Amino acid sequence: MQTVQSDFILVSDRRADASFLIHHYLSFYLRAGCKVCFLGLVQSFSHYSAVGQRLGVSLAQAREKGQLVFLEGLKESFGVLLQDTSQETQPLSYLRSPGAGLEGLFRFVESCVRQSGDGNAGESWGPPVLLIDDLSVLLSLGVSVGAILDFTLYCQATVCSELQGNMVILVRCEEEDADDDEEGSNLLQRGLVHQCNLALHVEGLPTGYCRDIHGQMEVWWRQRGETIYNQRKIFHFKVHDKGASFFARGTSSAVL
Amino acid sequence: MLLDVMQAGGGFILLEDSVQCSARGLLRCFIHAALKRGEDVHVLGFESPETQVCAGLDSSSVQRLHFHKGFPDPLGWTCRSSFTVERFTSQHITQLIKDTQHAQASVLVVDSLSMVLRHHDPVVFCQTLQELRKGGVIKTIIGLLHSDLHQQGIVGIVCHLADTVISVAPADNERLSVAKTTRRTKSGKVMQEEEYFSVSEDAALSVQAKPRQPGHVQRERDVSEADPTSNLTFNLRLSEDERKAKEKVALPFVFSQQKKSALLRPTPGSGRIVYEPDANDDVDEEDPDDDLDV
Repeated sequence: MQTVQSDFILVSDRRADASFLIHHYLSFYLRAGCKVCFLGLVQSFSHYSAVGQRLGVSLAQAREKGQLVFLEGLKESFGVLLQDTSQETQPLSYLRSPGAGLEGLFRFVESCVRQSGDGNAGESWGPPVLLIDDLSVLLSLGVSVGAILDFTLYCQATVCSELQGNMVILVRCEEEDADDDEEGSNLLQRGLVHQCNLALHVEGLPTGYCRDIHGQMEVWWRQRGETIYNQRKIFHFKVHDKGASFFARGTSSAVL
Repeated sequence: MLLDVMQAGGGFILLEDSVQCSARGLLRCFIHAALKRGEDVHVLGFESPETQVCAGLDSSSVQRLHFHKGFPDPLGWTCRSSFTVERFTSQHITQLIKDTQHAQASVLVVDSLSMVLRHHDPVVFCQTLQELRKGGVIKTIIGLLHSDLHQQGIVGIVCHLADTVISVAPADNERLSVAKTTRRTKSGKVMQEEEYFSVSEDAALSVQAKPRQPGHVQRERDVSEADPTSNLTFNLRLSEDERKAKEKVALPFVFSQQKKSALLRPTPGSGRIVYEPDANDDVDEEDPDDDLDV
């Protein structure tokens, strides 16, 4: 999955787990020498570090060198909640005042990606990359869909349009029985699909559980540069210890 | 009708899209068409960069295009924009248009109305749109709305305000999209048309009627049906006489001419009712309905 130009890649899932794609992109961009800003809102640093180790990258080393900036949402939230006052511009200020929006979080991302990355050895990193895992958890914290869409618009403007970097965002959708007009993860996902260049949607197989095929992934090319595409293809995948393999439908090694 | 609307302009034209199919390409065509007519086009770009909306213009057109930079800072967080979303009021916009020199027949393009609706009250938004329409400074308003990002009621309100609503959807053919145009004239007449269109790289719109798709329709069916009456131990086939007799049988519940005439002909000795009044019965020979004044 090589991206030549700056892309906003949306990874979404429904009743499946697409986080293997986040781990893939994290190790991919670190290996490519890009400056990575990772907002890890749902797991601890050691979790990603352990998976990254198996994929061949050392997150701790990358963080020390300054290549990786990791916002550990779970750990830092204690600090915000236990303080008596919090500034508007703190990255996790939405925990105290979710109605105010995500401007603080955007400022954190902006300062991180704009730093002229100079590692300890004086190396400069490639175009910046923003990874978010996962954005739908903000909905459960009281942030509105509109505020999240504004935040991603600003991130896209800065990271993709201005700095020619890439953005990969994970959003988890629910099966909602209620009307899809209501504020929820499906509305958020639709808004993000409108903004993104490439949408990867992971679901289980419609026919049920299979030992050799872990699910299907729909690849939706929406835009490349100035051209508007609208191409969708479905692939099957199997997750291994060190990555995932993708194949066209019906060509799994278990079948052929 | 789509080409007519694009080339004539005028009124409030709403381009409605969804995740299935984006209408931004069509929006570019409308902008190019307005510039070719010699009109001044003001674009309030909140969602996409200038390069995406205004690519491929020649130098004479570029002078009449005014892109008011909302993107990349539509909310004013980094103080780099010339027009933020909250300035979407009729006073600000009218002032913006009046500020351009030698303005004639201005066209206002909003990309997108969804962004504005996210930050303004729907009622105030509608009032603003109505004021802009009736203001006299703007000849045409073209807005892009993502219909799947709002409640149905809100989409309905905006469609109601519009003189022309163009909804785009994907077609079976990947190169084409479907546009459903609904146009309301001043007299109240509503016209609707569905057309297939495609937008080229240089924002040229080509419209066509429903395309024929050879090879998709299966003309011949190669299914050879096996004869079920062969190889049986009993006979299921009919001889000629048997088939004729079968066709002659009158079905029991079919109301044929014969049955009808049989029912109408009174047959003697059938179906007569004989009533013997009892000693306790009070038989009155008079017609009980006689006193009705009908």
